[in-house]
Amino acid sequence: MSTTAPPARRKDLLDIESLTREEIVFLLDTARPFKDLFDRSVKKVPALRGKTVLNLFFEPSTRTRASFEIAAKRLSADVTNLAITQSSVTKGESILDTVDTMQSMKVDYMVVRHAAAGVPAFIARHTPAAVINAGDGNHAHPTQALLDAFTMREAVGELDGRRILLVGDLLHSRVFRSVSTVARKLDMDVGIFAPTTLIPSGRPDYMQAFSTFDEALEWSPDFVYLLRLQRERQAAHFFPSLREYHHVFGLTRERFLECRRRGIRIMHPGPVNRGVELVDEVLTYEHCLINRQVENGIAARMAVLYWLQPAVTPLPDEKEEFAS
Amino acid sequence: MSTPRLFHGGLAVDADHAAPRRLDVLVGADGKIERAAPEIKPAAGVEAVDCTGKILLPGLFDMHVHLREPGREDEETIGSGGRAAARGGFTGIVAMPNTDPPIDSGGLVRYVRTLAREQSPVPVWTSGCITKGRAGQQLADIADMQQQGAVMITDDGDPVADAYLFRRALEYARHFDLLVACHCEVPELSRGGAMNEGARSYRLGLPGIPACSEEISIARDLQLARLAGGRIHIQHVSTARGLDIIRRAKADGVRVTCEVSPHHLLLSEDDITDYDTNFKMNPPLRTVEDNAALLEGLLDGSIDVLATDHAPHTEFEKNLDFASAPFGITGLETALPSLFSRLVRTGKLPWDILVRAFSREPRRILGLEVADFREGLPADFILFDPEASTHFSADTMESKSRNTPFLGQTLPGAVVQVVLGAELLLGRKQP
Repeated sequence: MSTTAPPARRKDLLDIESLTREEIVFLLDTARPFKDLFDRSVKKVPALRGKTVLNLFFEPSTRTRASFEIAAKRLSADVTNLAITQSSVTKGESILDTVDTMQSMKVDYMVVRHAAAGVPAFIARHTPAAVINAGDGNHAHPTQALLDAFTMREAVGELDGRRILLVGDLLHSRVFRSVSTVARKLDMDVGIFAPTTLIPSGRPDYMQAFSTFDEALEWSPDFVYLLRLQRERQAAHFFPSLREYHHVFGLTRERFLECRRRGIRIMHPGPVNRGVELVDEVLTYEHCLINRQVENGIAARMAVLYWLQPAVTPLPDEKEEFAS
Repeated sequence: MSTPRLFHGGLAVDADHAAPRRLDVLVGADGKIERAAPEIKPAAGVEAVDCTGKILLPGLFDMHVHLREPGREDEETIGSGGRAAARGGFTGIVAMPNTDPPIDSGGLVRYVRTLAREQSPVPVWTSGCITKGRAGQQLADIADMQQQGAVMITDDGDPVADAYLFRRALEYARHFDLLVACHCEVPELSRGGAMNEGARSYRLGLPGIPACSEEISIARDLQLARLAGGRIHIQHVSTARGLDIIRRAKADGVRVTCEVSPHHLLLSEDDITDYDTNFKMNPPLRTVEDNAALLEGLLDGSIDVLATDHAPHTEFEKNLDFASAPFGITGLETALPSLFSRLVRTGKLPWDILVRAFSREPRRILGLEVADFREGLPADFILFDPEASTHFSADTMESKSRNTPFLGQTLPGAVVQVVLGAELLLGRKQP
């Protein structure tokens, strides 16, 4: 890619919105050689040797946590996982108490997931550790967006002018907010298709909204990105039934065949609700990128960990003392 | 008994005079204004207070304050809230009844009034609940509370969701000519929300509260007030459309008054940048267009009253994530300096309208004696120094809580003395 100097390192990665296009491109470029490591017998580099990464998950997650853990380990960092149930926090233990406790253990990186928007930003202000937002409420999931951009670039090359159609529960989706933002920053066209109940108000006007799936496919997107639908949304009257949702807003067999005819790539942040967002056959389609997204997640997260710069300053004599 | 005092050399503004005019005020030993005239010669035995460069304003009155006592004395007490009021230039406040237990009986009204007399430097009135326990199920003992001194009823913090019950409350209160104040909101539309629904909530990923949640509720309450014929007061109006509904009702003969808070005039959702919970209150900060419409409403008289909705919360409570933190910010100490620096000094809000909305109208609406510079009235005014400034920090504020968006800031203008009867309420050296 470019030969210009890499962008100045940041302490935290909290959202996509605050990243420049240059920073995004730099992270995508950096992820590439990391991914190449995965096919070697030794998949590790020593970049983060001696550093400690804490996975601080206030919301259950297995996939994202594992992805961060593997990414950190492939950079030779030490990793600790801490899953904190909502209940212990609601009992009056503040998030700051937890962060203070963790900070006493001198961690260098905190990977934070929380059900409430803004918690990683809040923690970042109170710790010298580099904070990576691993998903906060409906706000942001920046590493997901980076891995998706990486995956799209890997599939088709440069993304300028390419089209991405985001489908499904946009309202409750931090993935939607971050992926649409990264796409915009990389000069892609963004289309959306969702029931009106699940389209957030206040969205930026660069998104083109379609009223039927067929009309959206006529727009010839390069990528159809299906968002996960939480089944409990039905109870809150966002749509009448899963059956109807699938018929109108899901990737049915017919629509899938149309995607295949057009060579459209299919993406999904996982885990997939089979028969709701998409039909089974999609998963074996040659242009289904879902598994690649998972694989690329590790490389993208390695790039982020590699780039961020904790504000923790080691003592000057530390290096000599422990040098081999 | 104190000595008579002559406040001389200052400029006065009041509800009828936008332009500051020279006024000397002689306060007798009995605390009443003996004379008020452009120039009064100091006499022997009279303590002279030099007010050169200061502005004299009638004592401010805040009809919407949460004092948290009884129940949450860690957030505020009647004493600390009263001191914060004096500090901010208020010589009268009305406590909201959403305490724990809620003020829903004559006995509790009496208890709060007693505490206030013992502990607050400024007079504290209280409101009573519309419904027992603020539960929205059954009328509270409205006449009993009024007899014990409640000046209005409200379930503030929540609307009376049951329209039938609210109709009866209005009708019953009308019998006693008691003001019914409404927190307007449709709970089903606001539920789970943390800030105004719109572009900003989208960017922050926070659950939104649509403006129509408030507007629908205002419309309902005003239709019911038209039917019931009582006096109704809409609290903390925050949207342009909500204000338009009130305007139409006023033109239609409904006996409605309404209030706006300084923060809904001065701040908007755009100010919520970093999930700072000191910008979280209910109703939420709306848009800059709403700010402008509300200011226009204040200027044209559609909005009768300024009220702070002073809502103290501890640092621990506010140090949560935005969605989980409680609603509310303090306002007693920041109200006047913030309005002065952003609106008065810049010529957008004339002094007479500020005095009307923040002193005369709330007292008039509640049937209380109006503060003015008229001879024979008890002295009730403040000295404001437009050249000084006020810093807001833990060290300088009297409220037990510091949940204000102005925390850490220094604003132009300072309340330097509060004159109430024969007393000077602020302990610092005389101006």
